[in-house]
Amino acid sequence: MMMPDPTQKRKPSRRIIMRVLLYLAVFLVLAVILIPYLWMVSGSFKTSLEIQSADVMRPGLEPRWIPRTFTLENYAKINKTVPIADYFKNSLIISFGTMFFSIVISITAAYALSRFNFRGKGAITLGVASTQLFPGISFVIPYFILFTLINRYLGVQLRNTYPGMILTYTTFAIPFSILMLRNFLDSVPREIDEQAQIDGCSRLGALFRVIIPLSGPGIVAIGIYSFIMAWNEVLFASVLTGRATKTVAIGIMEYITQQQARWSQMMAACIVISIPVLLLFTFMQRYIVEGIVSGATKG
Amino acid sequence: MEASSWGKRDRKAYWFILPAALCMLFVHFIPIFWGVYISFLDLDVYTLTQWTSAPWIGLGNFIQIFSGKFAVGKKFLESVYNVIIYGVITIPVGYVIGLLVALLLNRNFVGRTFVRGLILLPYITPDSVAYNVWRFIFQARLGLVNKYLLKLGLIKEPIVWLVGKRSLWAVIIASVWKGWPFGCLILLAGLQGIPAELYEAARIDGASPWQQFKMITFPMLRPVTRTLLMMNVIWNFHAYNQFYILLGGSVGDAHVPSTFIMQEAFTNLHYGLGSAMAVVLMVIILLLITVLMQVKRKNTEHAL
Repeated sequence: MMMPDPTQKRKPSRRIIMRVLLYLAVFLVLAVILIPYLWMVSGSFKTSLEIQSADVMRPGLEPRWIPRTFTLENYAKINKTVPIADYFKNSLIISFGTMFFSIVISITAAYALSRFNFRGKGAITLGVASTQLFPGISFVIPYFILFTLINRYLGVQLRNTYPGMILTYTTFAIPFSILMLRNFLDSVPREIDEQAQIDGCSRLGALFRVIIPLSGPGIVAIGIYSFIMAWNEVLFASVLTGRATKTVAIGIMEYITQQQARWSQMMAACIVISIPVLLLFTFMQRYIVEGIVSGATKG
Repeated sequence: MEASSWGKRDRKAYWFILPAALCMLFVHFIPIFWGVYISFLDLDVYTLTQWTSAPWIGLGNFIQIFSGKFAVGKKFLESVYNVIIYGVITIPVGYVIGLLVALLLNRNFVGRTFVRGLILLPYITPDSVAYNVWRFIFQARLGLVNKYLLKLGLIKEPIVWLVGKRSLWAVIIASVWKGWPFGCLILLAGLQGIPAELYEAARIDGASPWQQFKMITFPMLRPVTRTLLMMNVIWNFHAYNQFYILLGGSVGDAHVPSTFIMQEAFTNLHYGLGSAMAVVLMVIILLLITVLMQVKRKNTEHAL
């Protein structure tokens, strides 16, 4: 409900001007948001010739919004120069793996933090939260060396493997997931699992039979958060992945090389790799937004 | 906590936490502390295979960073300066845009829900997509920015945006575009938490919209603002993707600590020196957090 504005009785014309200004402002916001996306879509339908010959200084060849020749060739050839389909597969495997393990590990930890009373609870919560303070750069070097040494002394290769990447990203995802899920579980009444225990369930049984079915939205939210995090991560992917596990987030840069810039193909690939993230987000927008907001406002 | 079966200490909890604790130990804590140790070594690609024989050089790496005699140290300190400039601009600008749009979206208009969903688009778009599109937009010869700057007569010749000192500005523009929706989302939630009665009372007292903003809206948003700024200040030093992707991996003159450390460690293969720089960065972040916490505490005391 809008509050009645005392000025509106006196000056109806002013009110109309305010409405117009309001819609103009909304339009401006939308334009600023959408321009890069429109440019991306437009670029993905241009021929590579059109983009290569574009020149802001030459009147006939200025870059245009509407492609001179509309083509689908960039989508058809998306996998010709860069094996983006392989990268897409790698990203899917790593992101789903991360999603799965992050859910499993976060549920049990969040359950313990929400329902158990034990020594060191505060310290553990603080430790979990503290991992969010350190930038990736503060441990990427020793982490890389750790992988190298494990391979050397234990003969287990973690670099450029799916398990190594899933382990890495799962760990990146769990601190936020644990805290978010703990807040969620705190809002589920304790009487419910107390009752389950009276009815003869063990703690683990209560978790599986009562808590998990009740916390569906929370679990979905952290699952999607973990998936998106793994799909988008750049820093560790650039060090720890090679040809066999390269993800789309860094693979996409290969369209531009010293020799050739394939902008139109890159724009097509940009659209394709955004699809999973956009789908998941629109699907679960409410839960994620709630999670982010409560995470930020509750501290 | 209520006195019931929940009040009792339960050791089983540790088993529930163990997997998460092991992961974080392996990926976060051991490497962070080990990184401090490595920063005292002259560890490079030659000594890496013979890890135990890497010579201990004490503060050698740190001397390289701070003495001012070495190009590496100078470039690193420059990168710290760059990230501060980057933050000093992106954080306030992003906050103001986020707040203005939040105020706008808090009013009634047709299609409000739709617009509220849409503003999240930049926030959820993968970094690698968003910054590659901006890289396309900033291209000198075929980009949108130069096209319109020329059309408006603001420049006579196409500007090379993504090379040299100017590239920092390109990154700032692109990251503000990507970053403000997050703040907007949080501020909008804050706005919705302000009781409507406050505005009603103010209006009866004849307060102008500006006075209402100054006396009600802004003070009521203070806790949210504080959290938001704190997160932004910390995240500012995490900056990597926007620089690495927008500048196509060759960051050149617009290095920030993360990109510079990556180059030193993984292109020049100086792991020890890279770790030392990472330690310096961590110390800077920890100092900042301590200062921010102090300020926060003082502010809350005032409020009481």
